[in-house]
Amino acid sequence: MKRFLIYALAVVLVFSLAVSCKKKPKEVPPPPPQQQEQPVVEKVEAPVVREPRLTEEEMFLQKSLDQINSEKPLGSVYFDYDRSLIRDDARPVLDANAAWMKKFRTVKVLVEGHCDERGTEEYNLALGEKRAKAAQDYLLSLGVASDRIKIISYGKSQPVNPGHDEAAWQMNRRAQFLVIEK
Amino acid sequence: MKHLRTIVILFVVLAAGLFAQQEVVLKISEGMPMIPLALPEFAVRPASAGAQAAAREIRDVLMDDVGYTRIFQLLPKEYYGYIRPLDPDRIFFKDWDSIQARLLVTGEVREENGRVVFDGKIYDVKSERFIVGKRYQAERNGLRLVAHKMADELLKLHGEKPIFTTKICFVSNRDGNDEIYMMDYDGANPTRITFNKIKDYMPAWSPDQRTIAFTSYRGTGAGLYLRNIYEGTETAVATKGTSYSAAFSPDGKKLAFSSSMAEEGNHDIFVMDLETKKTKRLTYNAAVETAPSWSPTGREIAFTTDRLGQGNPQIYIMDAEGSNVRKASFGGNYHDAPAWAPTGERIAFVSRVDNAFDIYVLNLRTNQISKITENNVRNESPSWSPDGRHLVFASNLSGSIQVYSVDYDGANLRKLTDRGENKLPNWTN
Repeated sequence: MKRFLIYALAVVLVFSLAVSCKKKPKEVPPPPPQQQEQPVVEKVEAPVVREPRLTEEEMFLQKSLDQINSEKPLGSVYFDYDRSLIRDDARPVLDANAAWMKKFRTVKVLVEGHCDERGTEEYNLALGEKRAKAAQDYLLSLGVASDRIKIISYGKSQPVNPGHDEAAWQMNRRAQFLVIEK
Repeated sequence: MKHLRTIVILFVVLAAGLFAQQEVVLKISEGMPMIPLALPEFAVRPASAGAQAAAREIRDVLMDDVGYTRIFQLLPKEYYGYIRPLDPDRIFFKDWDSIQARLLVTGEVREENGRVVFDGKIYDVKSERFIVGKRYQAERNGLRLVAHKMADELLKLHGEKPIFTTKICFVSNRDGNDEIYMMDYDGANPTRITFNKIKDYMPAWSPDQRTIAFTSYRGTGAGLYLRNIYEGTETAVATKGTSYSAAFSPDGKKLAFSSSMAEEGNHDIFVMDLETKKTKRLTYNAAVETAPSWSPTGREIAFTTDRLGQGNPQIYIMDAEGSNVRKASFGGNYHDAPAWAPTGERIAFVSRVDNAFDIYVLNLRTNQISKITENNVRNESPSWSPDGRHLVFASNLSGSIQVYSVDYDGANLRKLTDRGENKLPNWTN
């Protein structure tokens, strides 16, 4: 009897559920928007040949001579009054210059010898050339090939510092390097 | 007074010699009194405003020239008031003698077809004689040259090389970079000779003043070139290494210069025979040899060398073949830029004492040195006038570097340039 009751209750429950469901207003889902069939976009790209990473030397070769020289890769060296002897403070600069020239083996440079205003025009041209030669000789002694270094003298005609004191004169007594071929 | 008479007599003899088309060279030694010269106002016939102006210009320039000579002395202006005005058709020489004129220069100017015609005459007052007459025709822009030509006639009469129609070449940055220019002896008519963006340097005249030798920075070198400035032709002399300081021999057949063509970085003296184009090396030394300057005979060359030690350049003399080398400078430790006077016995040079550069003249006969400049600045690159009475040099006396002229004894300092910086003047070789 008890089992019957349980069945009956279950039936009633199911029935009442079904009735209640039926009574609820049916929620109509909005019609799906009329979707146009979109074409699949196909990216068209020519295959790019991937270059290997540029070496330092290759990057160097891509620059113009002006660009290279504006970066001042080679340091100037300075001299004592009336002298063309390479001073101790010039050696590390020249060592670095030689190392740079060995790294970029195709480079050719022009060493310009300069003087301060306290020498005569004529003698200064010769002295400037001795200074350029001293710098060249030092680089040659470090194993840079002789055909890679040319020398010239401007005497006192191209000072970097137009002043008239020892600081200016020291700046002007110099050998400076210009990259002329790469 | 006795001296004066001697000169006048010499002068008359000389003038007579010139008339006979002979070359007579008379050297007046220092301290001789100058010859009083009368230069009355020029006649203008027929009178016209143009001719009047031309007469004034020619006479002004001629007066400047005469005043520059150190041979002739213009009569003081007020003396002309003591005598009758000049009548070019009838000269009263006694008048001119009475105011102590020894030479009388007259001029007559007229216009002819738009051109100026100038008649110049030179008279010897004592002997009451006409010596030289010249007629020049010129455009209005050629009047300075007319005056200079007349002034040169005076020098020629005196057995001198003309200087007033010669040119001084020099380096200037007035138009940007260092280029070569030339100008008259008084700084007038500056004219550009080289036109490029590269550095042109250290010009030297050929004796005929038609060609300059100069250093040009081309590519990575500093070569030596010859430029005929009136034909516009150019030839390379030396392009290996660097070459500077060219000097033509007095006969114009050879060119001495310093070059590193044989030893990179080391300058020696070389001489090129300009006919055969063969170059001969004259010095063989690890020290610097530069700045050659020929003696007027062409038999010797003065030059600078630091063979006694770097920073201690001295002036030496050698025979033109490179032998018989001897030291010429003394009494200092920095001498350079020798310039052998065309009159022979003098060498001008630069000496550095402390930080002052001055021009000195070494008299080879007496072995005495005289100081020409004394202003505690940098006076450099002396070069003689063709008659050896004047020097041009570069100086920063006014701040920037300019070309100056001065007489052989230090008198009469004049500034010749003022645009940009101007240096390395060369008057003769």
